[in-house]
Amino acid sequence: MRRIFKIYKPFTHAGVMLAAQYRVNFIFFILGDVLMCFINYFLWKAVFSSGGAQTFMGFSETDMVSYIFISFLTSTLAYSDGSYAVGEEIKDGSIAMRMIKPIRFDLAFLFQELGERTMSISIVFLPLMVGVEIFRFVVTGAVQFNIFRFLLYLLSLVLAYLINFYVNVCYGYSAFVLKNLWGSNLLKNIIIGFLSGATIPLAFLPPVLSAVLNFLPFASLTYTPVMIYIGMYGPVQILTSFGLQIVWLIFFIFLQQVIWNACVKRLSVQGG
Amino acid sequence: MRIFKKLHRAFKLHRIFIKQDLKRLMEYKIDFMTGAVGLLLAQGVNIFFISIIFSQIPALDGWTFEQILFIYGFALLPKAIDHLFTDNLWSVAYFIIRKGDFDKYLTRPVSTLFAVTVEKFQVDAFGELFVGILLLGISVPSVSLNVSVLNVFLFIISMLFATLIYTGIKLITASISFWTKKSGHITYMFYMVNEFSKYPTTIYNKVVGAIVTYIIPFAFTAFFPASYFVAGGNPWYNIGGTVIAGTVLMIAGILVWNKGVNAYESAGS
Amino acid sequence: MTGSCLSVAFDAIPRVTHMLTKEMIQLIYVNKLKKDFKKTIKEPGLKGSLKSFVKPKTEIITAVNEIDFHVPKGEILGFIGPNGAGKSTVIKMLTGILTPTSGSCEINGKVPYKNRKSYVREIGVVFGQRTQLWWDLALRETYTVLKEIYEVDDKSFKERMAFLNEVLELDEFITSPVRTLSLGQRMRADIAASLLHSPKVLFLDEPTIGLDVVVKDNIRKAVKTINENEQTTVILTTHDLQDVENLCDRIVMIDKGSKIFDGEIAELKRKFGQSREMKFVPADFSALDKLDYEGEFHLKDAVEVENDGHNVSVRFDSDRISVEKMLNYTLSKLHVKDINVSDADIEEIIKGIYRSEVKVDA
Repeated sequence: MRRIFKIYKPFTHAGVMLAAQYRVNFIFFILGDVLMCFINYFLWKAVFSSGGAQTFMGFSETDMVSYIFISFLTSTLAYSDGSYAVGEEIKDGSIAMRMIKPIRFDLAFLFQELGERTMSISIVFLPLMVGVEIFRFVVTGAVQFNIFRFLLYLLSLVLAYLINFYVNVCYGYSAFVLKNLWGSNLLKNIIIGFLSGATIPLAFLPPVLSAVLNFLPFASLTYTPVMIYIGMYGPVQILTSFGLQIVWLIFFIFLQQVIWNACVKRLSVQGG
Repeated sequence: MRIFKKLHRAFKLHRIFIKQDLKRLMEYKIDFMTGAVGLLLAQGVNIFFISIIFSQIPALDGWTFEQILFIYGFALLPKAIDHLFTDNLWSVAYFIIRKGDFDKYLTRPVSTLFAVTVEKFQVDAFGELFVGILLLGISVPSVSLNVSVLNVFLFIISMLFATLIYTGIKLITASISFWTKKSGHITYMFYMVNEFSKYPTTIYNKVVGAIVTYIIPFAFTAFFPASYFVAGGNPWYNIGGTVIAGTVLMIAGILVWNKGVNAYESAGS
Repeated sequence: MTGSCLSVAFDAIPRVTHMLTKEMIQLIYVNKLKKDFKKTIKEPGLKGSLKSFVKPKTEIITAVNEIDFHVPKGEILGFIGPNGAGKSTVIKMLTGILTPTSGSCEINGKVPYKNRKSYVREIGVVFGQRTQLWWDLALRETYTVLKEIYEVDDKSFKERMAFLNEVLELDEFITSPVRTLSLGQRMRADIAASLLHSPKVLFLDEPTIGLDVVVKDNIRKAVKTINENEQTTVILTTHDLQDVENLCDRIVMIDKGSKIFDGEIAELKRKFGQSREMKFVPADFSALDKLDYEGEFHLKDAVEVENDGHNVSVRFDSDRISVEKMLNYTLSKLHVKDINVSDADIEEIIKGIYRSEVKVDA
């Protein structure tokens, strides 16, 4: 483990430098995206004041507002550019260079992305968390923050990121068959965004669909960590969803390895 | 006569570039089709989201489902028209100036703004255009809409000037790159405010409402003109506001652009 | 800048030119043209970048410092100087891309940055480093677009294309998309594009950069033909001195933003052509101390010695010290393994001037 960190530390460092370079741009982009959260915030406030009921399909107004911001936070932090990075390397052929180096292709990307992530963590994490907690305190009149739940959230978030990363890397390999990844990447992001609960809680969907999505890897990407954070999951649900996250993570790591081995074989047969 | 000749020339150039863009598209058919499906799906997801809300409540802040759909569809149209014709302004903000590629537009005997925008015909916009028209078609029978010559005229006017609001805001923020080399992120931040225009401005609090009405007046691209059609109101304010905002932003955009062109520093030799 | 006082002494335009009516001969007037750039100084670290975000620190860099020159109609002017001398900045001001900080330029009675649209109708511009053609369009389509932009009528367009095709041989690739052209083809296509509207002035910024010898030669021939047939005035910047020798009637040389030479190539050679270079490899480097050229010839600043540890090169003016004397003296003082004396060609002269090693005395 120590050895791995030593080998891949330069990649993390490069990622940090890269993120620092695009710092100002990043802040503006995030501000643009946070606007969407506020639109949803006002929309849901209007929904609750128009509906007259205390809850909307099981969510109170406080739950809903927390959901909006925490799901934004989660999907921003669990975001991965893996498919793009892999796709580009395949298109320009530099992936062949990866094969002659004594390092793992996926880990190099992973550690670089973790480095880049320092920027979003340092800029997005604290303001959004504190904002949500203040909001919950003002509305309910009591401190809602629970350190134990928060730690579970962090764990689930890390798993969500790793799954997302490997899903994206696997997806990036499709560049071997497709000429251009723009269209399919867009389609993929929209489908995953919706099915992972980043747009609306999966509980709002028809029960059968929601149950299927909960079981499939989609829920593991955003929905699970958010539900843990805002306290909608009981101990049993937390345990099962953790189990599912781990199963899916192993599945995608394995899948990535299989595709990679196939690629190596194919490239060495064709001679790059 | 001179103006007709000029327009004729502009249309001719537009035609050549549109033809070329469509040709290029055919080279990447599959990519384009999947992207188009994705964009349609994105709109579909949003509408599904709204319908879930309305499955639980009869009206949102006094607005019916159909009225909301009308406003939403109305919002997509000027956005799509702007997207279709001036998408290259994004490239200006992101890299044309930074790489010094703006040089070539300055050596041509046409206005730089025209030379830049005519080069790209963004067919992605057809998705928004399609969904917008579809939503208007669905919602019109169920909202009390008074179809008259005057209203058709006002509709066209509001579309035109709402488009200018989009173009003006893009133009001003993209022009910043003449001084800073790159301003794509600034354009993005301001452009995202347009999302507020999809819902009635009445649901926002006073500060946000004032910002999207008077400062970055995207509310005039959809909510104000659209609500005049579905709920009545003072056309002088609702549509007059669109005309004023569109005119002011477009003029400001052209002025800033021209000032920027003079300040343009090209890229190091 | 020391360059500006040099340029006074260096100005090779005979006084008489200035006395003739300017409208009659000169097509291009450049007067005290100056361009400053503001450069933001970035400070390292997060704190520094925040500071420069709020209150950026800037410094002013003078890229072009009060340059004057004139160009008569039909001339091919070579505009040369080392990298970063300000050549491109001058060209960009002359073509209306950049607005000068002060000073003025007037071409064919028009001020580029003021009457841009009507001015650029009369000029053609080629930047060797980047294309003006539309990357994804077939080359033929590019010309159709340019025909509309420059409002060339159908008849002249046909004739023009036939002529350009003859000079630049476009036929073999005119139906290919621009992105598939080779560098040489692209350059020919770019030059044709700049000539479609029969401009009065043609600006060529490094038109032969990166091309092989044969293509270079073709391009030079084409430029020459167009210049002779149509009296097109050509402003050419280049690093290839072969271009200059083959094409240019006159050269203007700039360095660090200031003009340091303006005159015919023959004059440059006459003025600095006597400069010779003697290169030798001494058998024993410590013996070099015995050489005292100044003492021997009783001349100050006439000889320059450079020792890089392998070769010793001595530059001198053969008008003042004959080659024979130079060789005799040197060989009498020490043993050499190898020695030769060469004539400075134009390349050497310019190199010398770039390094400001050629001494200027009026």
